Amino acid sequence: MAPQYNHIVLPTLGQCPSASARQVFLALKPQTSPARALYIHIPFCSHKCDYCDFYSLVDTRDRQNVFTDRLIRELRALGSFAPEPLNSIFIGGGTPSLLDASLWERLLGELNDSFDLSRIQTGQGEFTVECNPESTTPEFLGILKAGSVDRVSFGAQSFEPEHLKTLQRLHDPDRVELVIIMAQDAGIVRQSLDLIYAIPGQTLRQWQRDLQRAVAIGVEHISCYNLTYEPATAMTARLNQGEFTPADEDLEIQSFELAGKVLGEAGLMRYEISNFAQKGCESLHNLAYWRSESWLAAGPAAAAHVGGHRYRNTPHLGQYLDFDDQGFAPIMDHEQPDTRRALAERLMMGLRLVEGVDSDPIYRAGEQINEHLCDQLRECVLKQIEAGLMAMQDGRWQLTDAGLLLTDGIVAELMDVVYQA
Amino acid sequence: MTTDIKHIRNFSIIAHIDHGKSTLADRLLQATQAVTAREARNQLLDSMDLERERGITIKASAVTVHHTHNGQEYMLNFIDTPGHVDFTYEVSRALKACEGAILVVDAAQGVQAQTVVNAYLAIEQDLDIISVLNKIDLPGARPDDIAMEIEQALGMAAEDCILVSAKTGQGIDELLETIIEKLPQPPAPTTNKTRALIFDAIYDDYRGVIVYFRMFDGTLKTGDKIRMMGLGRNFSITELGKYTPKPEKVKSVGPGETGYLVAAIKTLGDVRVGDTITLENSPADQPLSGYEPPQQMVFCDFYPSTNSEKKNNDFEELRDAINRLSLNDSSFTFQPVHSEALGFGFRCGFLGLLHMDIIQERLEREGDVEIVQTAPTVSYKVQVRSKKGLIKELEIHNPADLPDAGTIVSIAEPMCRVNIISPSEFVGEVMKLCLERRGIYKHQTLVSATRQMMTFEIPLAEIIYDFYDKLKGLTSGYGTMDYEITQYHNDNLVKVQVLINAEPVEALSLICHKDRAEFRGRQLLTKLKKQIPRHQFEIPLQAAIGGKIIGRETIKGFRKNVTAKCYGGDVSRKRKLLEAQKKGKKRMKSVGSVQIPQEAFMAVLDQSE
Ligand SMILES: Nc1nc2c(ncn2[C@@H]2O[C@H](COP(=O)(O)OP(=O)(O)O)[C@@H](O)[C@H]2O)c(=O)[nH]1
Ligand code: SF4
Repeated sequence: MAPQYNHIVLPTLGQCPSASARQVFLALKPQTSPARALYIHIPFCSHKCDYCDFYSLVDTRDRQNVFTDRLIRELRALGSFAPEPLNSIFIGGGTPSLLDASLWERLLGELNDSFDLSRIQTGQGEFTVECNPESTTPEFLGILKAGSVDRVSFGAQSFEPEHLKTLQRLHDPDRVELVIIMAQDAGIVRQSLDLIYAIPGQTLRQWQRDLQRAVAIGVEHISCYNLTYEPATAMTARLNQGEFTPADEDLEIQSFELAGKVLGEAGLMRYEISNFAQKGCESLHNLAYWRSESWLAAGPAAAAHVGGHRYRNTPHLGQYLDFDDQGFAPIMDHEQPDTRRALAERLMMGLRLVEGVDSDPIYRAGEQINEHLCDQLRECVLKQIEAGLMAMQDGRWQLTDAGLLLTDGIVAELMDVVYQA
Repeated sequence: MTTDIKHIRNFSIIAHIDHGKSTLADRLLQATQAVTAREARNQLLDSMDLERERGITIKASAVTVHHTHNGQEYMLNFIDTPGHVDFTYEVSRALKACEGAILVVDAAQGVQAQTVVNAYLAIEQDLDIISVLNKIDLPGARPDDIAMEIEQALGMAAEDCILVSAKTGQGIDELLETIIEKLPQPPAPTTNKTRALIFDAIYDDYRGVIVYFRMFDGTLKTGDKIRMMGLGRNFSITELGKYTPKPEKVKSVGPGETGYLVAAIKTLGDVRVGDTITLENSPADQPLSGYEPPQQMVFCDFYPSTNSEKKNNDFEELRDAINRLSLNDSSFTFQPVHSEALGFGFRCGFLGLLHMDIIQERLEREGDVEIVQTAPTVSYKVQVRSKKGLIKELEIHNPADLPDAGTIVSIAEPMCRVNIISPSEFVGEVMKLCLERRGIYKHQTLVSATRQMMTFEIPLAEIIYDFYDKLKGLTSGYGTMDYEITQYHNDNLVKVQVLINAEPVEALSLICHKDRAEFRGRQLLTKLKKQIPRHQFEIPLQAAIGGKIIGRETIKGFRKNVTAKCYGGDVSRKRKLLEAQKKGKKRMKSVGSVQIPQEAFMAVLDQSE
C-alpha cells in the first residue's frame, strides 16, 4: 500500500527540486568553518497529530529499509564535509522511535563511522533523540545508549487525557513517568519534556498541575509551547469550523508567566522564549540554531545552514529516495549567503534567547552593509529600551520579560531597519 | 423609400424591473418575424454582458420592425428604456422620441414603485399608454385585482388592460393590434426644415459614435451635411441605418421614423443627447425641445488598489480605463484627486448608486484595473462668508473639502421624492424607517386592498447607503421604492471629525445632521476599532464636532505577539512572514505612529450596523 499523506502539501511539479546539496557544498568558500551540528529527520509517525505541521508520513513500515539505506548514503556524503568533532546531533521527526531497532543500529553505526563523535562521547557534546512516550521501550533506549545518544526528549504535551484528546495525541499520560525511568535505567540521564499550553478548554489551574507534575518528574530541561494554529493543519481547520474556542490572550499571557514562575522556582530557568533548563543543561543543539551557527541536515524536509547558505532537503519521501547525487539529497528553497539576510536572521533568532545577541558582530556586519545602518539599529533599540521592551547589558541586546511577549513585532522592526538601510 | 407617417408607430415599453419588459420585447420582435425564436432568447435589446448579468438594461436603443395589419404594412419603432431609478433621465429621453408607451405590470406582483414613477414620466410627456398585464400564465396571476390596482394607482381604466404572457405568446397578437389601432401616428411636420431629436448615442470602437435619432421634420440622407444645433458642430453622414434588430443600412430616414447615423464623430463629448440635428445648408430656426442633461448626485473616489503587484503605473492605468469608459458613458464625471491616505485617484460623479456600481464593475472588468472605492457622498451646496463679508456658494462632494466651520453660513443637501409601495401591514415599519432617515411624509394612497403607496421627501444622503436593503428587510422583500431628486434644502448639517491618537484624520470626516452626529460618530468609531489593527501601544479614537469630543473608543495595545516554536527548519519561513508583516504595513497609511489600513477609510458613511 502506498504511504498515506496526511495534511501535507505535496510539492507541485513547479517546485520540483532542481539542485542537490552537493552543489552547495562544492560552492563553499575554502575558509568556511565546518558545521559542528547535525540534524536528522525521520519522517514517520504512527498517526498524524492535528496541530502538527512537521513533515511526516503515517508509517506503513514498507519504506523503512529503503529510507535507512538512503539516509546512510546521505550521512556518508555529509561526513566528508565534517572534519571537526561534532558538538551536537539531534534526531527528530516525525517519530524517530518508530524506526525499527535493527535500522537504528545501522544508523547509529554509520554516524560513528562517518563523523567524529569524540566530543559527544566524552560528555562535552550532546546527542538527542526525540521519543514518543508510546513507542519507547527499554530495548530501544539500550540501542540508543550504545550508539552514544546521551539525551532524550519526550513529547508529553499534557497530563490531562482530555487535552491530549483535543490535540489527538494518543499516549497514556501516565506513561511519561515510566519512560523517563526507563531512560534513566538505560543510562540516558539528560532528559527533556515538551509541554503545550493554551489548549482549548485548558484552565490556568490545569496548566499549573501539568507544570508541577513535569517538575516532579525531575528532568533537567522542559519546553513549554503556546499552542499554535499552523496553517493547513487539521487543528486550524477545526478552529475555523468553530469546533472550539481558542484560549484568550490573557490566559496565554498568564500561562506564559506561570511557566516562568513554577519552573524558575524549581531551578529550571527560561533561556529561550519556550525553553527552560537547569544551569548548564540548555540544549546545545538548539542553541546552534538560535546563535545562527552552521549545521548539517539529513533526511527529507530537513533544513540546513552551511557557510551562510540555507536550504531544505526535498520534503517528499519519494523524491528523496529516487534522487541521489553521490549521496546528497535534492534540495529546495536554496538561499545564497547574504549579509543583510544573515543579519536579519541573527536578530530574529538571537533575540529569542534570554542572553540576547552580542552587539559587536552585529555592528561589524552592519558597517559592511551601510554606513548608517549601525546608527539606525542603535536608535531602534534605544526606542525599545525606552518602551521597557529591551535592555542592553555587557554589550548584548536583550529582550525584557515584557519584550519577550512581543518578540515578533520588535524583531520585525529591527529587520525592517536592516532591509531599508 | 420612406413610410407614410400614418403607418408608423413609435413607442417604448416601461416596467418595474423583472416584470417582463425584455421578454415581451423579444416576443414582439419574434411575432413580427424580426428574429427567430432562438435569437429572441438572447434578448437582443440588451447588448452589454454586464446588463445581461444584472438583468437590467442600461443603454436605450431603438429597433424597427414591420407588421401587417388589415392588409396594411406598419412600421413599428420601439425604443428601449432602462428600468432602474438611477436612469430616470434616460427613460424620459427615450420617451421624448415616442408617441406611446406600453406599461407592463406583472400580473402576480402588481403595481410597484417603478411602475408608478415610469407611468408618471410617460403621462408627463403626454404619451398614450397601453397597460399590459404580463405573466398571466403564472398560477399566482391575479389579472382582475392587478387591473384594479392600475386603475386606483394610475387612473387608467381597468377594463383597458391587455392580458398577455410574454412567455407563452398569449395575447401578443391583440397587443400588436392595439399598438396599431390605439397609439397615435407621429405628428405631421410643422416646418419644412429638417429636424431630428438625438435620444441616445453610443461609442463603437470601429465607427466612432453612433447616434440614435428620431425624425420629426424632413428627411436625412446618407451624405447629408448635418449640424448639431445645440453644440453648433457640423458633421457629414457616412452611414444611415436601422436596427431590425440587426443593423441594416438605409439611404434615408423620413419623418416620424427612427434610425441611427454614423458621421465620423470621435467622442461622446461631441454629441449631446437631447440636441437637435438639422441640415448645415438649410438649418431649422428652432431646435426641438430637448431636456435637461443628467445631474451627478452621488460621488465617490476611485483609487488604484496598491494591493496589486504592479507598481507605479497603477494610476496611469486607472486613468486610461476611465478615459476609455467615458467614451462609452458620458453620464459620469471624473476629476483627478489626491488623498493623503490613498494617493492619486479620481473623484467621480454618478447619477445614482447603481450607476456607481456599474461604472466600478466596468472599469475593473473592461479596464483590468483593481479599484479601491471610497464611501459615496452626495453633493452639498455650501454658502460661505469670505473675509470681506461676501457670500459665495461652493459645491462640496467631500467632507474633507468643507471650509472652516466659522465661515459656513449654511449647508444645503439634495432632497428626493421617494415613492414606496408596500403591503399594508408593513406601513408602520416603513414610516418609521423614513422618519429615522429625516424623511418628511407627503401622502399615502391605497394601491389595492392590501397595498399602500407612500410618498416622502428624504435627503439623498440618507438613502444612498442601505436604505433600499433596509426597506426590503422590513417588508419581507415586498416593498419597492423609486426616487427622484427634486431640490436642494438647507438643514442643520455638521462635519464630524475623527481623531486617531489625538490627530485629526480628514479622510475620515463626514457630514451629517446635527441630531444624528453623535450616533454616527460613535458608530464610525466602533467600525474603525474593528478595522485598525492592534499596535504595540494603546490608540485612542475620538469623534468631534468643531473641537467638542462626542465619542471615544480605545484600541488596546498588543500584549502578546510571539512565535512559540522557532528552530532551524523555521528560519526562512519565519523571516519571510515577518518581512511580509512589514510589507503589509507599507500598504497602510501612517497617521503619526498609527497604521491605518485602506479599508478603514471605507468605513466612513457606511451606516450599516
Ligand atoms: N411565467 C412567465 N414568466 C415571465 C413572463 N415574462 C417574463 N417572465 C420571466 O420574468 C423574469 C423577468 O423578465 P425580464 O423580461 O428579464 O424582465 P425585465 O427586467 O422587465 O426586462 C424572467 O425570468 C422571465 O423569464 C411571462 O409572461 N410568464
Ligand atoms: S506531532 Fe510529532 S508525532 Fe504528531 S504528527 Fe507531528 S511529528 Fe508526528
